[in-house]
Amino acid sequence: MRPDEKVTEELTGIQSTDIEAALDPAETDGVYRDSRECAALAIVAGGGAALLSPPTPRPKKG
Amino acid sequence: MEQSGTSTRLQAAVQDLASGVVSALRGGGHTRAVLPAWTDGEAGDLALAAVRVLGADAMLPSLLLGVPPDPAEVAVFRKAVEAHPPRADAAPTVRWSHWGMARTLRRIDPSFSSGPPDEPGTGWLDEAGWQSLTHQLAVLAPLALPGEDCAVSRAAVRRPVDVARGFVRAVRRRDWRQAAGAGRWLTLLPGVPGTLGLESGLDFVELMGGQDPQVVLHVQAARLTRTGARV
Repeated sequence: MRPDEKVTEELTGIQSTDIEAALDPAETDGVYRDSRECAALAIVAGGGAALLSPPTPRPKKG
Repeated sequence: MEQSGTSTRLQAAVQDLASGVVSALRGGGHTRAVLPAWTDGEAGDLALAAVRVLGADAMLPSLLLGVPPDPAEVAVFRKAVEAHPPRADAAPTVRWSHWGMARTLRRIDPSFSSGPPDEPGTGWLDEAGWQSLTHQLAVLAPLALPGEDCAVSRAAVRRPVDVARGFVRAVRRRDWRQAAGAGRWLTLLPGVPGTLGLESGLDFVELMGGQDPQVVLHVQAARLTRTGARV
């Protein structure tokens, strides 16, 4: 770390690790759709056939 | 995961910046001064960090709408590029993000005489499964610009069906930001299955995830790309 970077971080609290974490985020946890929302998608999406195909299996627990 | 106060402030600043970009895109480039005019003090440092995180998209109105950039904004953008270079051991997305900013800077600032940096590698993308590929491409969505070529875009061109599958997965997982980023890439890729319903899908992503300015930014970029905007 350059000296000027250290000074900046001390003044602002913004660290290069904060920036790097924002630029290399982990994938967020998924919240899967239910069939009622899929029906709403059918109305909105019209021809979105692929979006309306059967849902992806959820990962099994345990 | 719990975020630190600093991280939260940074994310909020990025969202504010993204909102400004969206306004400029919707306004046809008539909205001026997306980037902050000052970069001094603590607020300025936060603003520069936010520009670095938003990446090349901070100058997207100039790129996609062909509006000459405000010199003051170019100066801020350049300062962010120069203030936050990637570390040698930085993740590929961090290095590619910085590479994309430098590419944009060379385009909008003739006085930026730094030679073109070598492209970072794409080995991690070539080996990625379709889920991870989509996640990584969505993170690097600022590189998805019409008429602009790089190793990441070539990696995406080779796998349109995988990105399409990833788009569908992201929608089902309600990961609207990933879906929007993947959809932005898909507008550029040949060979995307017509059954995907990309245009309607992007409308849905905006409807569901539109409270996130970064989602709207990617959707707007995709729409402008579809209507023929070129960098």
